[in-house]
Amino acid sequence: MSILIIGLSLSFLLFLLAAGLTLIFGMLGVINFAHGALYMLGAYICYQVVTMTGSFWIGLLVAPLVVALLGALMEMTALRRVYDRDHIYQLLLTFGFILVIDELTKVIWGLDYKQVPTPALFAQPVELFGSMIPSYRLFVIGFGAAVSLALFLLLDRSKWGIVIRAASADADMAQALGIDVSRVRTAVFALGAGLAAIGGAVTAPLVPIELGMGFSIIIDCFIVVIIGGLGNIRGAILASLLIGMARAAGYTYATEWVELITFALLIGTLMFRPAGLFSVKGRTA
Amino acid sequence: MSILALEEADVFYGKAQALQRASIAVGQGEIVSLIGRNGAGKSTTLKAAIGLAPLRAGRRVLGGQDVTGLKPSQLARRGIAFVPEDRRIFANLSVHENLVLAQVMDRRGPWTMDRVWRLFPVLKDRGAQPGNTLSGGEQQMLAIARGLLTNPAVLLLDEPTEGLAPLVVEQLTEAMRTINAEGMAILLVEQNLRVPMKLAHRQYVIDHGAMLWSGTTADLLADRARVEALISI
Repeated sequence: MSILIIGLSLSFLLFLLAAGLTLIFGMLGVINFAHGALYMLGAYICYQVVTMTGSFWIGLLVAPLVVALLGALMEMTALRRVYDRDHIYQLLLTFGFILVIDELTKVIWGLDYKQVPTPALFAQPVELFGSMIPSYRLFVIGFGAAVSLALFLLLDRSKWGIVIRAASADADMAQALGIDVSRVRTAVFALGAGLAAIGGAVTAPLVPIELGMGFSIIIDCFIVVIIGGLGNIRGAILASLLIGMARAAGYTYATEWVELITFALLIGTLMFRPAGLFSVKGRTA
Repeated sequence: MSILALEEADVFYGKAQALQRASIAVGQGEIVSLIGRNGAGKSTTLKAAIGLAPLRAGRRVLGGQDVTGLKPSQLARRGIAFVPEDRRIFANLSVHENLVLAQVMDRRGPWTMDRVWRLFPVLKDRGAQPGNTLSGGEQQMLAIARGLLTNPAVLLLDEPTEGLAPLVVEQLTEAMRTINAEGMAILLVEQNLRVPMKLAHRQYVIDHGAMLWSGTTADLLADRARVEALISI
């Protein structure tokens, strides 16, 4: 039972991050190395808000907004200048973002671990099918599912989604229909950054908040994005479930094999379905 | 007074000059055709008009205002609609979503979803299908309908009948006549005289990026041999 709960909560967390990564790639053509740093920033800002206000919920609200704003700023001042350049410039730039964010984090919050207490509402474990489950994990699952659903509705059903999908597929034609594509790019990068920060904030009560936290999860996210198919958000959710459940099962039954299992799934995908396990022709978002 | 004009426009692709001091104007309620052979600069002229091909020299004038420096999205918002040669239907959007996209900028006017459905009923019947699953003729209808829904002042049509069956060509010709009868100015690009002779009020002939001939359709009838020579392969 706890494998299922841990696996699902990990899956949704991975999806929040992978969705942002894959959206940004689909729209901007940029692989955002700094995504893990934005996730970490989400956790630190949540910690800061909790320290100041005592409320985790305000932290969960504020962190994504602040990081989304920062994302918009990063796109407008820096990223936008390198779209026409070779991919290596974009990689270098987003790698540079990591260094800047890491240093700023050190300056502001120092080097020691920070902790966010589990919100009181979910502090008690609950009994589910005969086993005791930390109720905060259940919240993470429900919250992750709700955010994912909202994201799908936004992309699939709303005018905004139509604009984002159109601008990702054919920027010139979208512009000829009056869409200001450069503003769409800013918005998509901000959305991706905000999703990463939601991931960071919601994880804050579960793990020690530290400088390296973005790095370990971002590798798994890249794996999810590749297995799901670059730019394919439907693929990302299935790949998140696959990796999340595989890792949760691995932690329980074969701890030493967790990384091996993850990378085996990645290599298997690249060997047999290099465009992603769930690639659909013509579908980008 | 013209609705849309390019004046002495120069366009370059890299070092190659695609338009040379090209001037063309479309008046209120007019169908103007631009004829020329492959690679003559027809599509470039339309791209220059919508801003997708930047002008290195010359001016773009829309409704009496100089709009040379504006971006494509701004030009679209001011009333230029572009229906490209390859139709550029969004494959990852349904037929209906392709149309909704055109309404996002919210230029109100006579063209509504109902009106374009009446003009091309197939777009209503196939609304839920992915845009790229339509036949060539239906995709062309979708591209035109998408342009109309932006309620433009002028519609730029790049070879709308190319490669289509005679019956579909007939249907599209009739649609263009209907659209124009409602007062829409149209700049129609074609490789041959077939459709322009039926529809256009005035005609331009382009080759090697330069406007070589222009006149009314009656002028063209009188000068047909020369024009045919300019556009023949």
